[in-house]
Amino acid sequence: MPAASPPRLVVAGLALVVALTACGPQPPDGATLLKQSSQRMLALKGFHFQMQITGFTGTGEPVQSAQGDAHPPDLHAKVNLKEGGILLEVEVIFKADSVYLKSFTGGWQQLSAVQVAQFFDARLLFDQQAGLFAAMRDTTAPYRGNSEKVNGHDTYPVDGVLQGPRVHQLLPLIREQGAYHATYWIESPSNNLWRARVTGNLFDASQAATIVFDFSNHDHPVSVSPPPLG
Amino acid sequence: MITPFRSARLRSVNRPALLSLTGAGLFLASLDAYVVVTALLPMLTSVHIAVNRAEQATPIITGFLLGYLAVMPIAGALSDRFGRIRIFAACLAFFAFGSFLTASAPSLSQLVTGRLFQGAGGGALVPAVLALAADLYPAGDRSPVLGAVSALQEIGSVLGPLWGGLVTASSFGWTWIFWLNIPAAALIIWALWPEIRSRREERRPTSLDWIGALLATAGLALLTLALYAANPEQSPVGAGIIWQAPLAIFCFVVFVWYERRASHPLINVRWFRDSSFSGSALTNAIAGAGLMVALVYIPVLANAVFSMNASGSALLLVRLMLGIPIGALLGGWLAHRLRSYRIVAALGLVLAAVGFLLLSGWTEGSLKPHLIGPLTQADGELFLTGLGLGLEIAPVSAALLDAVGEAERGAGASFLIVMRLVGMLVGFSLVAGFGLWEFHRATAHLLPPLPALNPNFAAQFAFYTLKVKQAIFDEYHLIFRATAIALLVGAAVAAATLRPLARPRWQ
Repeated sequence: MPAASPPRLVVAGLALVVALTACGPQPPDGATLLKQSSQRMLALKGFHFQMQITGFTGTGEPVQSAQGDAHPPDLHAKVNLKEGGILLEVEVIFKADSVYLKSFTGGWQQLSAVQVAQFFDARLLFDQQAGLFAAMRDTTAPYRGNSEKVNGHDTYPVDGVLQGPRVHQLLPLIREQGAYHATYWIESPSNNLWRARVTGNLFDASQAATIVFDFSNHDHPVSVSPPPLG
Repeated sequence: MITPFRSARLRSVNRPALLSLTGAGLFLASLDAYVVVTALLPMLTSVHIAVNRAEQATPIITGFLLGYLAVMPIAGALSDRFGRIRIFAACLAFFAFGSFLTASAPSLSQLVTGRLFQGAGGGALVPAVLALAADLYPAGDRSPVLGAVSALQEIGSVLGPLWGGLVTASSFGWTWIFWLNIPAAALIIWALWPEIRSRREERRPTSLDWIGALLATAGLALLTLALYAANPEQSPVGAGIIWQAPLAIFCFVVFVWYERRASHPLINVRWFRDSSFSGSALTNAIAGAGLMVALVYIPVLANAVFSMNASGSALLLVRLMLGIPIGALLGGWLAHRLRSYRIVAALGLVLAAVGFLLLSGWTEGSLKPHLIGPLTQADGELFLTGLGLGLEIAPVSAALLDAVGEAERGAGASFLIVMRLVGMLVGFSLVAGFGLWEFHRATAHLLPPLPALNPNFAAQFAFYTLKVKQAIFDEYHLIFRATAIALLVGAAVAAATLRPLARPRWQ
């Protein structure tokens, strides 16, 4: 058998290198990443979140941003509301079935269910069925992009589409019509979700808005206790 | 200390052109000293800070003052070493960079950093331009030029709040206050470019008191942090005051110890043995604090309870600002006429204190009753406060400068500005924390009504709004009365310590 010529050896070597590289750990596809990350986020003992709404929000949507710690359904957050062009910060605590509010002045007061529905039911954001993490599984046409750094972590962005009624469950002020563009930045293999973004004509049929969620302190235990009233 | 050079090269240049250009830069920076007082609310909103977390606006003001104070005392010596025009251009560029950071800030931290850089760049311009003016003109012709440069600086700082209010209320928005600085600074630097590049500007090695400057800046920064009430619901001062305040005092003690031994100290601490010097320095600081309280709280009051926009609150403030230069001229004339610094300084501070006491009696209807024609009683009260604050400037400054030796006037003049700014920084920090703490204390049990299932919501909400406005008034009453007391203390200090005018003599 004739010995392989040097060029052939080089080609064979290169082929081996390429094959080996290709056999390295590959991140799962978009759908799998979304499913695994959804499971991971729903099972966390606690996390820190930040939510920011930008773009056209109209007059009916007072919430501009929120940040706090959650162990759904319990959470403790500071919420920025826009009222007549000025921002106001309020603090909310959701503990079991009770909701507490600390507003511009005075101490904590407990809200009734009707008042909560009128205000901002932050529990829905991370609800086991209606919330964002559950919505990850309902995202259609997932497409995984190249690795990106988010808050110092290597993540894979997964783009997809969320139907209006599904997003409406998260924040009832969002329009039920149409579909919205969603992107999730997921770390692999930990499956931690670091950022999620929903874009589209969320609050008005012709004007765009964006909601961005940032997560950190994954699985750091969070325990929320009811505040002293008054 | 600023010592003029005898440079043949500098005397051959186009002096008016050079002074106009550097003066324009100085004016630009001095406009920005208090420009934010009428733009604070929109600035906070654009970095997503709620109006009920107004304590976070404090560093926007204190950051600028701190930057200014850190650089101003060493800028004169820096300009000796590296050349006036170069230091001027470098600091103007730094000021423009600070303006860029402020205008483009997505967060409070960048906003405060931008203001700190603006202050540092802007603060260095004052001694650099004064020294340049002294270089350009011989001793006999110098004083009108130095006076014009100082006046430019004062006019700029008086016009700042009005300029800020007008830009903020326009369709451009507050960021344009700062965006406009960038092309203006670039234009000035471009026009100065041949001078900057010439390399012929005279320089000389100067001993620079870096350690003294660092110690003083560290002490002031620590004191500002200690007094910053980040959580005024719980405390009127900062959480770290327990270690920051002693550390600040330690820095100041080491500073004094070091300055007594340094061969070229930043300030001559022996001056303080003269009670007329110490008294005028303290009075100057108290008056600075009074001015800052008026500058910040009149626009905020206008906005919060009189529902005025930025330009409306700026125009309200103009009534007070108008009184200052008129008072300053009158104070100089009166001191000369009566041959007494102490009477005029004390009179000015008492008038300002009376002004603050009258302002502290304001209610929601205070802007309405007309006195004569379109003028209201409030206009008169604001003007009186400004007039009082202006009256003390000339006698207090002159008493301080009389107390230092003829050869040290430059350093004495810098020290005057420094003490005024220290008063502004410390006074405002204290007042901001205690004022908000009082507001939270007054409203600790005032629960807002909630709309759902509440048939009386409208009536309850109107009542609640009334109560909140009352609490805001209570906060201002406290602040203005405390300021009035401080000004009365200042008046007593001035009356007890200021020496009479020296007999005129030529030296």
